[in-house]
Amino acid sequence: MSYTRRYLLTCLGYACGLGVGLRSAALAAAASVPDDAAAALRLLLDDRTRARALGGSYRAHCPVESDPALLTRLILDALAPHHGGQQPLRRELLLPVFDRCVRAEFGAGDTVELSGWILARTEARLCALCE
Amino acid sequence: MYGHLQAESREQLTSAAAIATGSADVCRTRGALLNSAKWFPLARAKKLISRYFALRLLALIERCRRRILTVDALHHVRISEFMFVDARQLPQDMEVDADICIIGAGAAGITMARALSGGKRKIAVFESGGFEFDVDTQKLYAGDVIGYSYTPIDRDRLRFLGGSTNHWQGSCRPFDAFDLEEWPIGLDVLEPYYRQAQQICQLGPYSYDPQDWIDAEARPISASSSDSLKSTLFQYSPPTRFGTVYRDELEAAGNLTVYLHANLVAINTNEAASSVTGVEIACLTGKRFRARARHYVLATGGIENVRLLLNCTRVQKSGLGNGNDLVGRYFMDHVYVPKAATVLADVSSPEVRFYDHHLVRGQPIEGIFTASDELRRARQMPPFYIGFRVPTTEIAELGVERLPASIRGLLGEGVAHSIEYYYSRTTSSMQVPAKWLYEKMWRTPPGTFVTCYSSGPYPDPDSRVTLSDTVDALGLRQTRLDWRLPADFVQDMHRAHEQLAQLLGRSGVGRLRIESSETGYDPMQDVVNAHHHMGTTRMHDDPRQGVVDRDCRIHGIGNLFVAGSSVFPSYACDDPTMTVVALALRLADHLKSLAS
Repeated sequence: MSYTRRYLLTCLGYACGLGVGLRSAALAAAASVPDDAAAALRLLLDDRTRARALGGSYRAHCPVESDPALLTRLILDALAPHHGGQQPLRRELLLPVFDRCVRAEFGAGDTVELSGWILARTEARLCALCE
Repeated sequence: MYGHLQAESREQLTSAAAIATGSADVCRTRGALLNSAKWFPLARAKKLISRYFALRLLALIERCRRRILTVDALHHVRISEFMFVDARQLPQDMEVDADICIIGAGAAGITMARALSGGKRKIAVFESGGFEFDVDTQKLYAGDVIGYSYTPIDRDRLRFLGGSTNHWQGSCRPFDAFDLEEWPIGLDVLEPYYRQAQQICQLGPYSYDPQDWIDAEARPISASSSDSLKSTLFQYSPPTRFGTVYRDELEAAGNLTVYLHANLVAINTNEAASSVTGVEIACLTGKRFRARARHYVLATGGIENVRLLLNCTRVQKSGLGNGNDLVGRYFMDHVYVPKAATVLADVSSPEVRFYDHHLVRGQPIEGIFTASDELRRARQMPPFYIGFRVPTTEIAELGVERLPASIRGLLGEGVAHSIEYYYSRTTSSMQVPAKWLYEKMWRTPPGTFVTCYSSGPYPDPDSRVTLSDTVDALGLRQTRLDWRLPADFVQDMHRAHEQLAQLLGRSGVGRLRIESSETGYDPMQDVVNAHHHMGTTRMHDDPRQGVVDRDCRIHGIGNLFVAGSSVFPSYACDDPTMTVVALALRLADHLKSLAS
């Protein structure tokens, strides 16, 4: 099963690390996702204003990654080593994969600084998708 | 206890007490006591009120006045019993004889006095202040500040019994082996003294491994080999006010005398300046006298030690012990940034709570982050720590809050200064309960914290204490402080927080934003100094690189020593008090070995 960019955003929107309560937000998202992916994305993000601002900062930081399709591909590639070869199709499975990916990136020092925030590269790219 | 009194004639004792007290009250009391025995109706009562009992009662009254001296015809005072002596009451031009003279009764001075008490050596301690804060005495600390912004140095320290322990906040942590790499002595030498200092500062078990302080509510972030930061902790002293906590113990010692309101104004040496022959003491009232001892110890703090040495120019024109122009150089203080970054984290998480001020088995501790040895070596980073703070409990620290100028003008400088001191003393003691109250009543998740960052620049010879041309009430030149920060301080702070952000993200604890003008808040606008005065008479085996040797003896002067943080050749990120106490204990042991 393939997943669209909007589907990915719906599931990953909680894990951008901008608000506290990752677990509770993730559970809420897994419980109910509106059919309208764009609307769901707005509901899922803890702080869309901040995510959008960070997304803009990332695009300015890495202009070569401004293309949404490229960002999607990069995010999926980053997640791949953390899902054991299985496609993270279900939303409730995607969050822990994303979490492992982000933690690994922090551990490896693969981070970016956006408006003072130190974020893992994948979560920064996720914010860039919110533009 | 009073056996020596029996050997004294009544007349000599009475006259000595009268000299000390300045009155004949004791004489009249003694006479009344003896005479009253005549009127007891029972002969047995007369026997009870014996000559010995009357003398004991008399001695008790005199002891309560804390003025027991024996004065010979040459006005030499032999110390017969420990006491607190108001130096202002002593005869003019008197001479005090002792085996060891300690100048200053702060953490270092009192620690040494306690360690040396109970032996055969006579110890004289000279303290500038009295038992309580006094504005006129405090003014003796006045001086100029040039260079980087610094707290007024007459507000930074306290000049009465107990010294700056009267307003310290109590955070304690011993130096680790890496911190002592530039010292001529290592942790193996200091650790036994650290263990004693642990008890003196009224702390918990001697362990600073976070794993030993885990409980159900708080635990450190689990370490990873990739981490460049490590978790450690401060233990908090009550805080121990040395002048209060140890006053009775010092009083009970049989070979110790503390002279209050006694200011060192000169150190006399032989022509070669290789030995101290005596010191001159002065009171603000104008009274002066002298003291002689076999060994002398300066224990007046990182700034005042320098001022006293540089003011002694009778033999060495550049100041005593300053043949290589090192006295006063390498002044170091921790730079404290109260809000360097913002952290978003789950306040209920045990990993977050560990880095907040909390109790573990009754001992207050606070987890902190410091650089690993590898990080410091690889990136040449200075010592630092990062702690978490709740952002809204901005309580004044260490008495440097100042009243508005308009109110100061109405109250007068003396009253304003007193108010500021007592306010700071109160708030520093209330810091912990105030934070607890805030947490109970106002903290709501999600938790927003700020980080506090404390670091010390590498020793800089151009960061220094010198003398100004103005003099104080005793005729000594005042201090001029030129504190320097390194050009890469902000960069180092940024790098340290990058490491913390990685640690928090790797562990899933939270996220961090480094504050800057870009985020709307420049942390450097609120930078303060930590009031830790270090390095100005640094320790080194080579006299061309240090003022004192590894035994804290001033190079070239056989019987003059320095106690306190001024001997630090480098430092950790921690409050220096625990190390000051440990070094004082070591110096006391060394002096004992010399005497024996």
